[in-house]
Amino acid sequence: MGINEFDALKPKVGRRSFLKMAAVATASGATVAFGNEGVTRKATKEEIKNPFPGSTSVKTICTACSVGCGIIAEVQNGVWVRQEVAQDHPISLGGHCCKGADMIDMVRSKVRLKQPMVKEKGQWKRLTWDVALDRIADKMKTAHETAGPDSAMFLGSAKMCNEQAYYFRKFAAMYGTNNIDHQARI
Amino acid sequence: MANTWGYGAMTNSLGDIQNAKAIIIFGANPAVNHPVGFQHFLKAQERNNAQMIVVDPVFTKTAAKADIYVRIRPGTDIAFMYGMLHLIFKNGWEDEDFINDRVYAMDDIKAEAAKWTPEKVSDVTGVPAEKLIQVTKLYASAGVGTLIWAMGLTQHSIGSSNTRLAPILQLALGNMGKEGGGTNILRGHDNVQGATDMGCLSDTLPGYYGLSEGSWKYFASSWGVDFEWLQGRFKSSEWMGKKGFTLARWWAGAINGKDGNDQIHNAGTGLKNLFVMGNGITSIAQQAKVKEGLDNLDMLVLCDPFVNEAAILTDKQDDVFILPAATQFETSGTVVATNRSVQWRTKVVDPLYESKTDQWIMFELAKRLGFYDEFTAGMKIKENKKDFTWPEDATDEIARIIKTIGLTGWTAKRVKSHTENWHMFDQISGRGYGKMKGEYYGLPWPCWTEKHSGSPVLYNTDRSVAEGGMGFRNRFGLEHDGTNLLAEDGSAPKDSFIEGGYPEINKDNIEKVLGITLTEDEKAKIGKNWKVDKSNIIVEKCMEKGLAPYGNAKARAKVWTFPDQIPMHREPLHSPRADLVKEFPSYEDKSNHFRVDTKYISKQTEQEWVKDFPINLVTGRLVNMNGAGMENRASKYLAALSPEMFCQIHPDLAGKYGIRDKSMMWIHSPEGTKIKVKAKYSFSVSEDRIFIPFHFAGHFQGEDLTHKFPAGTAPYASGESANTVTNYGYDIVTQIPETKGGLCRIEYAKEEA
Repeated sequence: MGINEFDALKPKVGRRSFLKMAAVATASGATVAFGNEGVTRKATKEEIKNPFPGSTSVKTICTACSVGCGIIAEVQNGVWVRQEVAQDHPISLGGHCCKGADMIDMVRSKVRLKQPMVKEKGQWKRLTWDVALDRIADKMKTAHETAGPDSAMFLGSAKMCNEQAYYFRKFAAMYGTNNIDHQARI
Repeated sequence: MANTWGYGAMTNSLGDIQNAKAIIIFGANPAVNHPVGFQHFLKAQERNNAQMIVVDPVFTKTAAKADIYVRIRPGTDIAFMYGMLHLIFKNGWEDEDFINDRVYAMDDIKAEAAKWTPEKVSDVTGVPAEKLIQVTKLYASAGVGTLIWAMGLTQHSIGSSNTRLAPILQLALGNMGKEGGGTNILRGHDNVQGATDMGCLSDTLPGYYGLSEGSWKYFASSWGVDFEWLQGRFKSSEWMGKKGFTLARWWAGAINGKDGNDQIHNAGTGLKNLFVMGNGITSIAQQAKVKEGLDNLDMLVLCDPFVNEAAILTDKQDDVFILPAATQFETSGTVVATNRSVQWRTKVVDPLYESKTDQWIMFELAKRLGFYDEFTAGMKIKENKKDFTWPEDATDEIARIIKTIGLTGWTAKRVKSHTENWHMFDQISGRGYGKMKGEYYGLPWPCWTEKHSGSPVLYNTDRSVAEGGMGFRNRFGLEHDGTNLLAEDGSAPKDSFIEGGYPEINKDNIEKVLGITLTEDEKAKIGKNWKVDKSNIIVEKCMEKGLAPYGNAKARAKVWTFPDQIPMHREPLHSPRADLVKEFPSYEDKSNHFRVDTKYISKQTEQEWVKDFPINLVTGRLVNMNGAGMENRASKYLAALSPEMFCQIHPDLAGKYGIRDKSMMWIHSPEGTKIKVKAKYSFSVSEDRIFIPFHFAGHFQGEDLTHKFPAGTAPYASGESANTVTNYGYDIVTQIPETKGGLCRIEYAKEEA
């Protein structure tokens, strides 16, 4: 998106920029319409009834708060395509709040962190998992030997499942410190 | 709470609130924070004509649904509750039998309550005397009532006294162990109960086992590792038994007492490496100190599905690692809801992009640190396997080891069948139908055996132990100052072999208390007590006799190991009432509180804070966000609902400072920090206080830091963190920060040209 086009999309739209914007929209609209000819067709009745053929439904639990609402996640070819409330869940009874309804978008958010990165000399750099873990483990090992295990602090999470939280506690114990906590204390 | 009757958890359930005849809510806002759970409150109002009372410094959305709203000054809940107790005892509204049979030291409470006349309460809390009388009369006479709280009660320097007095109020009215009663804490995050149960804490091991050598030995053997090896991983056996730093004050460890900061006691070292997994540390109090702590680290590792905003808060230029962790929908595992019930969260999709699950990251690091075999051995023990399946074998490992809160029944197979059949349970009682008959949804702990029903209502003596009944836990000895601490006759759970109280069961007393003779084989297998009995023989024998393995004792109103043996009102460290600070001063300063020296009275009296900082500051949540808010601000739809940070301010207060609706304003804290936010006129706050939400980050003291995000990872909304201006102050027992009752100063912020 060019800089002028971005300005044109700002909420403070003057008459002149509105006209510009309309021009941009028309131009791109026309291109898209032209490009799509022969590609789109009417959906069949079956497709309207079931837009995701072959999908499966997974019963799972919301990650927002401690109420523990049910979620029905519809998955097609490994992609989470739709989310439905759980009408028959004994706590949520078909309810969803705005956070719960958004779970599918949280997972598919475009601004997720996509690969391991490290800041070096003030710049973010991409690196592989192997290199990242080697470097982190090296530093932790050295600190364990020199400053001692209490030079580390482990902050776990109330968003972890039980198994992860339990293993996080075990990890700190086996590293050799009680410097470990999570959000129970805020 | 655990110090009152044995366990610190919600006693009843959301569905059970439908049984309540009255609901009193202190410092919780379920309409916003637990909207779907709140429907059970509304049903209690509709079906039961239950009266809802909301006690809160802010007129919340929950207050809007209440029958009575009580606007209270932040940090004065103890005065208010003593005021209720004053009236209860004065009018004979207490449950005498219940107190006599099941409570220790209520007389001490009665004596303190006598001082809190409605007039005195009114002076301290700002609540009119008539309103206190109206509320108390209504609540005490309604029949069974439920008491609800959340962080509005805990986040104070006296938070641990608040959470003792609320249970005492319920004990006085005989509201404990009853359907529709109880003390019902609303937990925040989805698995804060579970992660706490799992001992992701600096002062316990999983299952609230302490840090004594006995506990460590039990865990070493249960994990399938050598105790000496495990001890050798620590600096020394001494440090193995010491509580660590907490989330609230880890940063003090990194600053290491420099420049007049609080001194630390951390095995002779400062903190060098911080490893964070799924924790929005931009929502903890005193952000300027958090930043300073981050800046002082050697290495910062942040594992999160999104960029943890600590990465852009710090000025650190090297060795800041951000690792893409999978969301909870990209892995499977068990999750514990606020009412102690467990559900199986099934994986929906594989981890997106290059993200990896938390367990994969831990396993890979354990391999590199040389303890992978020891780390995973516990999963192979049950069936003597060569390899393990995640998470099922971890679930079963937890069930095998944790006896204290009764997780024996939480096998992967059972938990999965509950979640798979969630349609076969009643919404109010949680009872199962058809093939799930005889079990409660999610097997609320304690779930003593692999056949046990789960315990939906803690301390309920109307049910047998097999159906989830129990008395209070025998945790504080058999007697104190010559007074019996066990329950009196007639107060045992239904179908109990013993009429009254009995001690917790161990190897030495089992034959005598249960009236049985163990075989030689059983004697050889049995553990020292019910908490470390790997054979589970003690529990099985107790079930046969209708006894709770942990005993049947009295709840205690007095905790003789705490600085205040009975809960006492003390003014917040930053109080708007200088006159009351003299009458209700804070605690003496505390050395080595979770490894860091902590100020109380010296901070409170450093200056007369209210002179320069005349306004109360209250923080809280928004319906579209939770925690540090990154997950929600990374969603364009949720971000659009509250695209920028704001402050709710009463127009009359704003007018004094020339602050117009939607104009920018500065909020200054006594710590010398400030934030710049948009004013939003509101009548939900009174003229002496302001409200700010704590879900924002990315701006710091007027500076926009979002340019520091790696390309394409900035959330759709950013703003000042409320916690940049929350005050110094920590609970005397738990170290929870005092974010609900600080002071601040405000001014109009000129718009830059």
